[in-house]
Amino acid sequence: VQPPERPLQSEEWNKLREDFQLPEIFEKVMLNSMIRCNSPIDVAKSLLSDLAKRNGDITYNVLVKYLTLCVQQGQVSEIRDVYDIMKVRFKILESGAYNLLIRGLSNSDQWTMALTLLEEIKKVMVPSRTCYQSCIKAASRHQEMELAFELYKEMLAKDVVPTLDVLQSFFDFSRGVKGAELQKELFGILLYLRDNQIYPHKTFMRSIKLWFESIPGENWRGRLTKIKDSGQCPVCNHQLEDSNLTEEEYSNLSERIIRDVIHGTDTFRKTSPEEFEAFQTFVEKRLPFDIVIDGLNVSHIKSRKMQCENLFDAINCLAKDNARLLVLGRKHMLMNSSNWKRETMKEMQNKAEFFFAENISEDDAFLLYATLRSGKHCRFVTRDFLRDHKACLPDSLTRHLFRKWQRGHQIVLNQNVFPVFFQQPAFRYDCVVQTTGDTWHIPYKDVFEEKYSYQVPRNWLCIRQKL
Amino acid sequence: MQSANMLLRKIVRSSVLPFAAQHGMKKDLFPLSRSLSFSLCLKQDKSCEPSEKLDLDEWKKVMKSGLQEEVSETVSEFKELSGLAAARETVDMWRLAGKAVPESISEEQLKTFMECPSKSAKKKYLKYLYLKELHKKNNKRKMDEKRQRKLEAQDQASEMDETKRSPFVCLWSSTMDKAYNWRAAQSMIFGQPLVFDMSYEKEMSVREVTNTVSQIVMSESCNRRSVDPFHIHFCNFKDDSLYHREFVKSYREAWDKLLITVTDQCYTEIFPKDKLIYLTADSPKVMKTFDHDKIYVLGSMVDKSIKTGVSLARAKRLGLETAALPLEKYLLWSSGAKNLTLDQMMHILLTLKDTADWKKALEFVPKRKYCGFVNKPVKELRKTLDLINTLKFGKGREEVEKQFAKNYPKR
Repeated sequence: VQPPERPLQSEEWNKLREDFQLPEIFEKVMLNSMIRCNSPIDVAKSLLSDLAKRNGDITYNVLVKYLTLCVQQGQVSEIRDVYDIMKVRFKILESGAYNLLIRGLSNSDQWTMALTLLEEIKKVMVPSRTCYQSCIKAASRHQEMELAFELYKEMLAKDVVPTLDVLQSFFDFSRGVKGAELQKELFGILLYLRDNQIYPHKTFMRSIKLWFESIPGENWRGRLTKIKDSGQCPVCNHQLEDSNLTEEEYSNLSERIIRDVIHGTDTFRKTSPEEFEAFQTFVEKRLPFDIVIDGLNVSHIKSRKMQCENLFDAINCLAKDNARLLVLGRKHMLMNSSNWKRETMKEMQNKAEFFFAENISEDDAFLLYATLRSGKHCRFVTRDFLRDHKACLPDSLTRHLFRKWQRGHQIVLNQNVFPVFFQQPAFRYDCVVQTTGDTWHIPYKDVFEEKYSYQVPRNWLCIRQKL
Repeated sequence: MQSANMLLRKIVRSSVLPFAAQHGMKKDLFPLSRSLSFSLCLKQDKSCEPSEKLDLDEWKKVMKSGLQEEVSETVSEFKELSGLAAARETVDMWRLAGKAVPESISEEQLKTFMECPSKSAKKKYLKYLYLKELHKKNNKRKMDEKRQRKLEAQDQASEMDETKRSPFVCLWSSTMDKAYNWRAAQSMIFGQPLVFDMSYEKEMSVREVTNTVSQIVMSESCNRRSVDPFHIHFCNFKDDSLYHREFVKSYREAWDKLLITVTDQCYTEIFPKDKLIYLTADSPKVMKTFDHDKIYVLGSMVDKSIKTGVSLARAKRLGLETAALPLEKYLLWSSGAKNLTLDQMMHILLTLKDTADWKKALEFVPKRKYCGFVNKPVKELRKTLDLINTLKFGKGREEVEKQFAKNYPKR
């Protein structure tokens, strides 16, 4: 339906309604298309007047749609009128209307009303993150930074995840303002990014940079850069944090993996107690390994080659420098078949240790265990992202630890260059927001660059204080 | 909080009350329904002055005028909503906003609604109730229509007044029941056992248990109607378990008269271990033929969240043989999980038992899950398909392989 361009009289609306196939939903469809076309508000008003005349009442649904149109066009007085009407008609509103009202009012000079509305929502439900976003932005726009931070903390306490927009607005509106308290809060946000392994996008990064450089009398300088593989920042020659976990994190992670990934609710789901015990004694006797290989995964790298040849190539490649290898496989690999030749298997067993699990067991769990047990220097080879194992970990903190450890220890074989063998270097440095007090290093992603969850950004913002 | 509240009240008062005062004078002019009379009056205005300019804020007056009297009440009686009342309000508002919400909601359902941990869980629950209500309504409507038709048909029949003569008294359903029960009783003595393993209650949500029970009820009924029924065993069945309560809910008094064996013992205690075969989709072994001397075990579990390997783990723990249906061998699988519902399994097993015909038995796999039936095993078919493709496209082979790898992952 094409909405009319000017307000219509009742008769004209009637005519339109009669022409429409489903007169019951005429208003709904018409208002939706008005929202889509961003029609003048007067047109919608004339429709509402017609409705009020016909039925003596306007349904909530229609009011909300009208409200959407008002918010879209920033008609503050209309928003207030609609709110007054709704307030009288209904005891409470539902989240859609609240979101709209808050969004509409927070952008106007009546932004304090948005705050009262937020209080009202809290009585019946947890406000959505967009509600908080609007209120926080409104508060910081009016330099009520304390209030904005109060709302931000409340939001975190309620487990509502803030949008990057909110975080960015803090930096945008604090530009040029001096204050130790404020600075502390903003550093707190940067540490929030660090703890949750969130990477800001380019515009957000720019806001951070500008804020740092605008602090009066502190002389911060920011530069964009790329970190070397060694983990050194080319701008300030600062060595980034190591990707290794601390002793405590490490033991914590290995404990959790054994408990939640290998055993889980039922040890029989991934292995069996006898098998796991056998594996444990096997590993303990031969510790430590340098590289643990997921045999089956590696053997499928090139589909044109025989599976055992693939594995053989990989082992030959990795067996340099007397590295101690452990290959995990399944028992079916020992059966002489078209894909697994007995002679090749024998030869491989001379070069590396092998452990063969039952055909129905999950070898990935063993891979994790053996690698963790061997110590921090040990790395593992598989193309698997291990997402299902990460998902077995119950809390996000351990999952972050897992991801960090994985980044530092997983070697991925590239099937195109193999067997010349390109190893994705396991990262030596940790890719998170980090600080030493007088320097900050912040990884960021290009907005347009597509980033998978397993990838880390290569671009960094280096900020340091010149004294 | 307190101050905000005050502010809010001020706003409400300041915006509404003057308006109410303005119109208060007119109050006695419209003794009847306010909105109705208002619109009437507007229409009259129009008729005498057709070229009048359009008043765009008319609707606001209408909306406010209809409610003046109530306004003062709501403002003075403004109370903090709490608990159930607030939940009910929320649900009502969602309904007004046009979301999928049931029209009537019971106290118990409201409590469940409040216990939902997140907003999306709440929405899902309401949608479930809404659909349930819709189904109920539709069924009722259909029943009414049917009754209406029946009545009409009866009227016509009485007009014709034609008596039918038949050598049998019309008592079909009860006679059938007797026959079925006779067969089921025989199966209790001579029939091949079929075990339902009822030990998965902990792995399931309440709704999954309900679904499980309704699936078992369906399988029991189709077993009873078959020519040669199984002797059904419910093993690991605990009294006062959720299963038990749900069974009593759906069977009522008939629960105690069912011709099945219910026990809290494990199947390994009743039957020799080497005769048991645990049927699970995760099994590496594929069933070739139906064995009349074996005892098949079905896990009574609905897992909507696909908990891989739960029943396989159970069989492993007990050291039982396992088997999966040869779905990939006979069907070109297209989509969907390979675990089937319990009543589908029952149909398949019954058909296998009677006919040993895989094609007939696998008819009961939902059609949406497979594209077609293959007579040759898929492996052989794959070879010919590959050959055709290499001949046809030359290089397209890898694509085909990828497709197959997706549909038939290596295990």
